Amino acid sequence: MTASHGAYGNADATTTATSNAASSNGAASTDESLNARVRTSKSPRPNKWGIIIAAVVAIAIIVGAVAIFNGRNAQQSANKADTVTIGLKLAPPSLDIRRQSGSAIEQVLIGNVYEGLVSRDSDNAVQPGLAKSWDISTDGTTYTFHLNRNMTFSNGDALDADDVAWSINQLKEKQYYNANQVESLSKAEALDANTVRITLSSPDSNLLWYLTGRPGLVFDKDATYNAKTQAVGSGPYTVESFDSASKMVLKANPKYWGTAHKPATQHVVIDFITDDNAAVNALKSGDVDVLSPVNATLAKSLDANTYHVSASDGSDKFVLAFNCANKKLADKRVRQAIRYGINHKEIIASRGGVDAALGGPIPSVDPGYEDLTGLYPYDVAKAKQLMREAGYSISKPLKLTLTYANTYGTELGDQLKSQLAAISIDLNINYVEFSTWLQDVHANGDYELSLVDHAESHDFYKWTMPEYYYHYDNKDVQALYAKALAANDEKESDEYLKQAAKTVSEDAPADWLFGYRVTVAYNKGVKGFPDKLSQTVLPLWQISKAE
Amino acid sequence: MSAARVVMRSMWRKASGKYALIVLGLWVLVSLISLVWTPYALLETDGFHAWASPTAAHPLGTDGVGADVLSWLMAGSRTNLAIASLTVVVAGIFGLALVAAMVSRHTALRSTSVVVVDALISIPTVLIALMLSVLFGASTAVIVAACGFAYGLNLARIVRPAAILAARSQYVESAVWSGASGSRVFVRHIMPNVMPVLLVQLSMSAGMSILAEAGLTYLGVGVGVGVPSWGHSLATSVRFISIYPLTVLWPGLIVTMTVIALHLFGDALRDAIDPLTNPELREAA
Repeated sequence: MTASHGAYGNADATTTATSNAASSNGAASTDESLNARVRTSKSPRPNKWGIIIAAVVAIAIIVGAVAIFNGRNAQQSANKADTVTIGLKLAPPSLDIRRQSGSAIEQVLIGNVYEGLVSRDSDNAVQPGLAKSWDISTDGTTYTFHLNRNMTFSNGDALDADDVAWSINQLKEKQYYNANQVESLSKAEALDANTVRITLSSPDSNLLWYLTGRPGLVFDKDATYNAKTQAVGSGPYTVESFDSASKMVLKANPKYWGTAHKPATQHVVIDFITDDNAAVNALKSGDVDVLSPVNATLAKSLDANTYHVSASDGSDKFVLAFNCANKKLADKRVRQAIRYGINHKEIIASRGGVDAALGGPIPSVDPGYEDLTGLYPYDVAKAKQLMREAGYSISKPLKLTLTYANTYGTELGDQLKSQLAAISIDLNINYVEFSTWLQDVHANGDYELSLVDHAESHDFYKWTMPEYYYHYDNKDVQALYAKALAANDEKESDEYLKQAAKTVSEDAPADWLFGYRVTVAYNKGVKGFPDKLSQTVLPLWQISKAE
Repeated sequence: MSAARVVMRSMWRKASGKYALIVLGLWVLVSLISLVWTPYALLETDGFHAWASPTAAHPLGTDGVGADVLSWLMAGSRTNLAIASLTVVVAGIFGLALVAAMVSRHTALRSTSVVVVDALISIPTVLIALMLSVLFGASTAVIVAACGFAYGLNLARIVRPAAILAARSQYVESAVWSGASGSRVFVRHIMPNVMPVLLVQLSMSAGMSILAEAGLTYLGVGVGVGVPSWGHSLATSVRFISIYPLTVLWPGLIVTMTVIALHLFGDALRDAIDPLTNPELREAA
């Protein structure tokens, strides 16, 4: 007990005891160092500061060395002019474009590795692809495509009308992903080696556009390969390696048949970078030459002399869906009140002021677009009155739950909660994993309010499907959409679509928070990167980099 | 002079103790104030002034939705206070129960409990929290449960030697001979002996729980959405650290200062509460 008493507080007792032990071991140097330590512990502040300064200096040296080392590495990698490195946010889980859902796989593979009968340009318009021209019968149910000559796949196989007809019939038969987009298509047949006829059960003015996507892709009938990890297509590039967790390497296809889309760069590396900060750092260090998309707020830190930063209209719609099958939301007044109660301008401003206001289901890049933002302007008084009529007040608020995926950040939920509180809605936020959202909301339709980015173009048809998670069932809209599809004339079709979109917006089965405008950033040495729609159409063949 | 006042005074006399007492005092005070008043309501957002720099109206600036950072930090301090105190209670009770098992007179219980603690101690706190959040969703209770469990194990492992020493002492032996029950011996004779080590460990657990809250909330398994906490403020602002570094600085600074205060508090309290190191306490008694 007495020994331990000495060990507390009284420093001398401890030191003597230890140095005795050390000297009995015969180690004089240990003794000295112990004495030195005793002095340090007893000496006043200056030495403590010395240690702190030494530590700071050491850290600074390490950080500096790492930074210089990284910088040198970056310069080395950036110097290779025959390789362009592009940073994307989302990676496709596999390369199987016939079965794998998601827009990332379309962005990377369509037009680059696989080609369709027709292609899509950066203005969202239909252009020739494997077919150089086509005729449409007057009743709009027969399409005759005239193919290019001497086309080959990357494995050397010839590409002819048989492959085209087989690919399209397989799509229908096996119900590959997006087969539902061309529901009206009944069959494809090869008339001769360079002509394909497609027959429709009913006219569909969207058919050509949908054929620029997955339904029009042509695969090699005779090739056998593992579609999840390999790709055999006719496009200007082939897949050299693919890892959905990090990157994909594409190489110019030496057997490419065409001349119009000849690759400007031999190698394209696509880095999948999910973290926004990591992405911007990769661009700054030269690990990537292009970022698509880049976070608009973070892009402010990029030097305007070195980097080109631009935002453009796209088809991304942030849809706050109201479950019309829900008892509380079946009341139209409540749905309207929510739309009046949301201050879209404020939400857009807080996100950096880049995004576009959107008042209805059709984005500005799609046919049938019309500015509908005037239908439900921000008007709290009107929203409150509607809520009162529906039987709710500040003392008796309406309780609603918003389910959305955590990939979109907490800010949107916080803002909606805050704005809707003013119109006596008590919003509870259910912030979930994206997979949970897909299961609960998208697949099962079990929700009250949901928020998601519908990135697809030409997706108005979802408002005509009562079984879709919107649970929106309006016979007028369905009839108008059918008319739009059947119309022979583009203008006529657009008119019907406009009417349908306006009817949907007036009915308020959802609120369109904003049209997400994609910001892209790239080093000014990069030429040919599309400023528009790069989230869906990424023509790699036209991208090059100056030495 | 009462013993409590002597303890407080001896803590106050040391610079580290003074720092700890001031910071912890402020913490409790701000938490209480935030119950009735914050400069702005938490739900008051202004998207037109998001990420604003500090001004007279918003002394610490605004966050990504234009809400007042100071108000969120004030309200967050009470969430963190609750997490820290509850973690201390849970870790303390759980840890002491384990210690009791590890020094019990039943050989089988004693040896198995040591093995079990050694095995469980290897599970990281984050993993426990992740698994709990799968079952119960992200909430304050999950943080407290995960931290209480992990730090309780740590505490038991560290307190055990002192407890064994006490259990072998002659006064415990005589208490046992005079017929005292196992639980009475533990509470009356063993616990007071391990108190100094216990207090240091508990105050460290409180500090670690604040760090854990910040980390877990960043991972999305901490406090729920819309619940103010320092971790919440950190997580929402860290995305734009390269553009708006100030918004990360404030919660970071508060977390650092508080965790340091808790660690120093444990040391100072140990020194002040132990009659062996505090001569004044011996005089008072």
